[in-house]
Amino acid sequence: MFGAAANRGSEHGQEDHWASFDAEVMPHAPSLFRIALWLTRDRTEAEDLVQETLTEALGAFHRFITGTNCHAWLVSILYHRNSKRRRAASRLTLVSDSDERIAETAVFEAPTPQSVTDEDVLAALKRLPRSFQEVVILADIEEMSYKEIASAINVPIGTVMSRISRGRKLLRAELAGYARAHGFLRQRALSMD
Amino acid sequence: MECHEFCEIADSYLSDELSVETNHEAISHLEKCADCRCELSARRALRTNLRDAFIGLPVNRMRPEFVSELSGRLRDAAIEVRSQSIVPSMERSQSRRYFTLAVAACLLLTLLIGSIIVRQLLSRPAQNIVKIELAKAAVGDHRDCAEEFRLAEKPIALDVAGQNYDPVYLGLAEIFAKGSVAPPDVKFIEAHSCVFAGRRFAHIVLKYHGSLVSFLVTGIPSNLASDHSPAKDPATIVCSQIEGYNVSFFQTHRHGIFVVSTLPEGDNLALARAFAPGVFDHITNRERTTALLID
Repeated sequence: MFGAAANRGSEHGQEDHWASFDAEVMPHAPSLFRIALWLTRDRTEAEDLVQETLTEALGAFHRFITGTNCHAWLVSILYHRNSKRRRAASRLTLVSDSDERIAETAVFEAPTPQSVTDEDVLAALKRLPRSFQEVVILADIEEMSYKEIASAINVPIGTVMSRISRGRKLLRAELAGYARAHGFLRQRALSMD
Repeated sequence: MECHEFCEIADSYLSDELSVETNHEAISHLEKCADCRCELSARRALRTNLRDAFIGLPVNRMRPEFVSELSGRLRDAAIEVRSQSIVPSMERSQSRRYFTLAVAACLLLTLLIGSIIVRQLLSRPAQNIVKIELAKAAVGDHRDCAEEFRLAEKPIALDVAGQNYDPVYLGLAEIFAKGSVAPPDVKFIEAHSCVFAGRRFAHIVLKYHGSLVSFLVTGIPSNLASDHSPAKDPATIVCSQIEGYNVSFFQTHRHGIFVVSTLPEGDNLALARAFAPGVFDHITNRERTTALLID
């Protein structure tokens, strides 16, 4: 008698578990995919990475505290899984010093152009060094806080803040150059230039 | 806040990452600076633009088939994970219960053994202290009664004391008076009951090699009680020196027997060992018959 009740209870428990996971975690899957695709630059790898991330999240979901930032938790898992995959594949990626040096040269504070197309913005983003692309995507597209980004990509928060600041400046500089070329940079910006 | 300062923190302002104070300064500056309001608006627009463009990119969208497959796999995994985790969790909880019980039993046993050992360790010094105090009282009684006759309270006959205070005193003197077990040179002087420092003794005074020897029998506290006495094996009786006197000691269940003298240790011990079996049997029998063992 108790066994049947326990089974029924466990079935309900399984359904509840899935329902909670589905409601809490699955809405973040598109964001995870975008980040995974940016990280891997390969659609199939990105899908695998997302699946691994969500499977791990499912196994650890009992540890997730409702009300805390689920998205940040998932992104942390995704980065962790990605690191493991890269280690497994023995693909070492060196942190590019040149990226940092490029950013150091971006001292010009360009005024933000007001009329740019999606293509322009995406092209400007694409031209950023990867370390800056990464934090700009996480902060301005995926709307993660500096602290959450620092935790996810495992770098000091000061580095995150620095990279975001320089990444945004570079992005604006790219777009400003484009806007100037097309003659729709703001008047104030022209005078500053 | 100047315009160039605001431009530095404008993105953090949009991200709500500024401290309260800086945020307040930024708001104050925005209220009076149209250019910075314009710049802020442009950055906000750029961010929205960037976000919408990036998210809206077809390449950044998951394939519907992948979403469907992923959801199905995860749902199956969720059920599998739960069913795997529920059953073992029941087994785990049972084995954990056994483990907890075993640990609790071990702890209990350890505590029990530990408390016994600790009690023994603690009680040994305490017992020794009590015995030393009793021995000192015996020495004092020997000195003040047998040697110097200066007791505050006059001694009474041993049989009287046996009837009024302690039945083991009854007939005790006969063991010494008979002289059958005593070494040849031992001379029975007298037997009485006296009180020293508030403690009553049965006091048998002997003379051996020119020295007075006191056999002093007194009740002992229950924490000193023992069924094992060196008197069963007189060879194990030991002698100590207290306040210039040699004192041999043995005990029954409820009584301590002190042999006090200025005799050499060997002689003191020899006397104690000679009389110990008879004294032990006598007192033990009396203890039994008077049901002293019961209380």
